[in-house]
Amino acid sequence: MSVPGTRVLEKIREGRGFGFRMWDPTLPVWIGAALLLVFLMLLPLGAIFVSSLFNEQGLTLRNYLEVFTEAAFLKAIWNTLIISFWVGCLAVLIGSLLGWLVTRTDLPWKKAIRALVMASFVTPPFLGAFAWTLLAGPNAGLLNHLYRFLTGSEEALFNIFTMGGLIFVMALYSFPYVFSMIANVCELISSDLEDAANILGANKWKVALTVTLPLAAPALLGGFILAFLHSLSLFGAPAILGLPAGLHTITTQIWALFQYPPRLDLAAAFSVPLLLATIGLIALQKKILGRRGYSTVGGKSGQRRVVQLGKLRVPVLLLVLGILSLSVFLPYGILLKAALSKAWAVPLTRENFTWGNFAFTFFKYGDTQAAIFNTFELGIVTATVGTCIAALVAYITNRQLLRGARYLTFFALAPLVIPGIVLAVGLFIAYTRPPMILYGTVWILFVAYLTKEMPIGFSQAETTFKSIHPELEDASRIMGANRLLALKDITVPLSRSGLIAAWSFIFIGVIRELSASILLFTPKSKVVSVVIFDLKEEGQVGAIAVLGILLLVVSFLIILGVQRIAGRDFFVTRQ
Amino acid sequence: MATVSLRGLTKRFGDTAAVNDLDLEIGDREFVSLLGPSGCGKTTTLRLLAGFLQPEAGEIRVNQEVISSPAVLVPPERRNMSMIFQSYAVWPHMTVFENVAYGLKFKRLSREGIGEKVDRLLQLVHLAPLKARYPAELSGGQQQRVALARALVVEPQILLLDEPLSNLDANLREEMRFEIRRLHEEFQITTIYVTHDQAEAMVTSDRIAVMHQGSIVQVGTPEEIFDRPKTRFVAEFIGKTNILKGRLHEEERVFFGEGLSVRVAGHGGFKPGVEVVVCIRPHNLFLVGTAAEAQEWNQKGYNLFSGIVRRRIYFGDAIDYLVELPLHRHALRIVASPSDRYELGQKLFALAHPNHCVLVREQ
Repeated sequence: MSVPGTRVLEKIREGRGFGFRMWDPTLPVWIGAALLLVFLMLLPLGAIFVSSLFNEQGLTLRNYLEVFTEAAFLKAIWNTLIISFWVGCLAVLIGSLLGWLVTRTDLPWKKAIRALVMASFVTPPFLGAFAWTLLAGPNAGLLNHLYRFLTGSEEALFNIFTMGGLIFVMALYSFPYVFSMIANVCELISSDLEDAANILGANKWKVALTVTLPLAAPALLGGFILAFLHSLSLFGAPAILGLPAGLHTITTQIWALFQYPPRLDLAAAFSVPLLLATIGLIALQKKILGRRGYSTVGGKSGQRRVVQLGKLRVPVLLLVLGILSLSVFLPYGILLKAALSKAWAVPLTRENFTWGNFAFTFFKYGDTQAAIFNTFELGIVTATVGTCIAALVAYITNRQLLRGARYLTFFALAPLVIPGIVLAVGLFIAYTRPPMILYGTVWILFVAYLTKEMPIGFSQAETTFKSIHPELEDASRIMGANRLLALKDITVPLSRSGLIAAWSFIFIGVIRELSASILLFTPKSKVVSVVIFDLKEEGQVGAIAVLGILLLVVSFLIILGVQRIAGRDFFVTRQ
Repeated sequence: MATVSLRGLTKRFGDTAAVNDLDLEIGDREFVSLLGPSGCGKTTTLRLLAGFLQPEAGEIRVNQEVISSPAVLVPPERRNMSMIFQSYAVWPHMTVFENVAYGLKFKRLSREGIGEKVDRLLQLVHLAPLKARYPAELSGGQQQRVALARALVVEPQILLLDEPLSNLDANLREEMRFEIRRLHEEFQITTIYVTHDQAEAMVTSDRIAVMHQGSIVQVGTPEEIFDRPKTRFVAEFIGKTNILKGRLHEEERVFFGEGLSVRVAGHGGFKPGVEVVVCIRPHNLFLVGTAAEAQEWNQKGYNLFSGIVRRRIYFGDAIDYLVELPLHRHALRIVASPSDRYELGQKLFALAHPNHCVLVREQ
C-alpha cells in the first residue's frame, strides 16, 4: 500500500468530509457538546491566571514575588518535590516488581493479587492515610502497641506522622499506576524478542539487560512520572499525616491560604507552578512513551515464556502478600475493627463490640446523612452528565464530525494536568462572582467533578468508539436508517457496556474526591470525604471508619457490576 | 432497475484528488468492477455512489436523476442501494436473522412478510440453520454470506460491493467469487464492485473499469481489458506481462534495435516513427528447442526471439522461464507447460503470434 494512498483511504473510512453541506439534525448536538467542553476547561484555568496577576492595586507580579520569596512557601515546594520523588521511586519498585511477577512468572494466586492491587487503587489515599494513623500513630497506634507488648519497650517503633511515614503511605496508593503500566508492557514484550537475542549468543542476564530492560524502560520512567504526579496532587494524605508534624506541601499550603483570612491571589499564584510542573511532566511522559521504536513493543507474536520461580515461589508470594497487607489488609482490618468497636484501640471483645458507630453515622450525626446524600447525588448526576458529554465528544473526535475535532481531545484530557486543588482554586475564583455564582451550592462541586473526571470518561468512551467500526453505522444508513436511527440501532447498543464502564469510573472518582471538595464545600454542601476530614479533627474514629467502609463497599460493588455486564456482553466480539 | 452515470466526478481530501474528473456509464442490470491498486480512488468512488461523501465537482445520476452533485446530496438511506463492506459490517449485537431483517424494517412489511423474505434469502445463501446465531459464532465466510443476504433482501436498485472478499482465505475467496456471480445472475441487480484483485473482477464482471490515480484508464469486458490493454499500466496491473520499448516503423512492425523486430496486429492509432511499448503476455509466448522448428513457425508469421534460459521456476501446473535475449538488454518471461523442459543456459527460441503482441501507450 502506498503511504499517501493509505492516508486518503483512512480518511475515507473515517468518513471525513461527510455531512457538511447537507442539513444534519444532529449537528447542533455535536457543536453544543464541543463548546460546553471548551468552556468547562478554559474558565477555571483562565480564572487562576488572571487572579494570580492581580491584587487590590491592579495588575502586578507581587503575588508571584511573595510566593517565591517567602521561606514557608519555598519549604512547601521543596517538601513536595522530596516526597514526590521518593514516592515515585518506591512506587516503581513495588509496582514493577508486582507487575512483572503477575505477568511473567509462575507465581500462584495471580488473579487474587491483581484484585488486591485493584483494591489498593480504589482505596482513597486519605482513607489509607487515616487507617495508618490508627496503625502506626506514635502513642495509640496498634502496631506500636504490639511492639511495646512484645518487647516491653517504652519506645514507639513507627511514627507515621513524619515525612518518611507520609512517603510510605503515599507510595502504597501510588504504586498501582506503575503496576498497570508495567503489567501491560510485560504482556506485550513477546519472548520472541528475548529469544532472538538469546540465539545470537546473549546469556540470560545479558538478555535481561540489553533487551528486556530497555524495552520496559519507557514504561518504568512513565510509571515513575505518573506516581510522581499523583503524589504531587494529593491533598488528603499530606494533610492527615504531614500537618500534625508541621509538614506543609504545595497542596496543603494552598489549602491553608484558603483559611481565614483567605488569600486567593496568593493561592492562585501558588497554583501556577504546580500546574506548570504537571503540564511539563505529562509532556515529558508523552514524549518518552510515544517515542518511535518503543511502540513496536506491541507486536503480534503471542508467546510469552513464564519464568519458573522454583524454590522462591512461596517466599515471593509471602513478600507480595506482605506488601499488599500494608495497602489493603491492615488498613481495611483496622477500619473494620474501629467501625465495630466502642473504643478502637482496645481489643475487639464482646464488651467492646457495638453497632453504635453505624447508628451514629447513619442516623444521629447530622452532617453525615446530608453528606452521604450529597455524595451519591453528585456521583450519579456527575457520572450521568459526564458520560453523556464524554460520549458525545469522543464520538465527534473518533468520527471526525467537526473540523478541528482533534483539538477537542486536548480539551477533554486537559484536566489530567490540573491537580484537583488547583482546579478548585480556579473554580472558586470563577464561580464566586457574577454572572454565575455557584459557590455555596452543590453545583460548584458538580462542575469541579465533571471537569476533573472528564479525562477518564473521555478515554473510556474513546476506546469504546474506536472498537466500533464506522462501517457498522454506514451499513445501517445504506439499509435505510437515517443518522439518528443508525445511532440508536447500532452505535448505542454496541457502546453500551463501554459507556457503563465510563459511568462507573466517573462515579467512583467522584465519591472519593477530596482535594477539590475541601476548598469548595460549604456547611450546606458537604460530601463524605470532607466529613471524614472534619470528623478527624473531632476524633470520631468510629464514624470515619463507617464512612470509609461505605465508600469502599459501594466502589467494589460497582466494579463487580461492571465486570458482570462486560462479561455478559462477551458474545459480542467487536470487529 | 437502474442505470448509473458518473460524469466529471471529483472528490478531494485536502490537496489530493482521490477521484479526479471520472466518467463512467453503467447499464441496467450490468455488473461493473472498479479495479485498481490501493489508493487509486475506487473506494472513494463507491462511497460517493452510496452518498457517504459529496463530490466537489461532477454528478452522479441514477435513471437520469441527479442524486449527487456539489449542490444535491440524496442521503444514503434514500438511494435504494445496498452495500457490502470490506469489514462485512455485520452487526455483532444482532442475530443472523435480525441482521438480515434490519433493512426490511423500513419497508412497511408485516412481520410474516419480513420473516418469509428473510428465510428465503437465508436459504439462498445456505445460512438457514444458523439464523439464531450471533455473528461472533460464525466463520468469516458465513459472516460474508450474512452481509450478502442482508444487502439483497431489500431488493435494492443498485448493489455496491467494497472489496468484500479481501478478508477471506484463498479457497473461500475463490468460491465466493462464483457465488457472487451466481447471485447476480439470479437477482439481476445493477452492481458496482470494487476490488484490487484482477481475478475477482474477471470472474464476476460484465465490464471492468481499471482505475489509476483517481481516473478510469480503460473500461471494457474482461477479454478486452486482458487481451487489448490500452496503457502500460493496465497491461502490467492485469496479469503478468513482458514490456518491450521500441519504435514503430512502417505499418505494424516495431524495431527494438540490433536487428530485433516484431510484427504487431494493428498500428493502434500510432504514427510510424514514434516510440511505442509492446506488451506480450508470458503465456502467449511458447518455446521451441531447435532452429529448424523455430524457422518453420517464423515462416507462418510468428515473431521469433532467440535466447538463453536464465531462470526456471517450477509451479506444478506450469513452468516459469526467464529467457535472456543475448544481443539485447531484454529478457522475456514465458509460462510454459510442465512438459516443456529446458535446462538453465540452454539456447532456445521463443515465438509469439502478432495478434498477441499488443501496442500500448506508455501513460
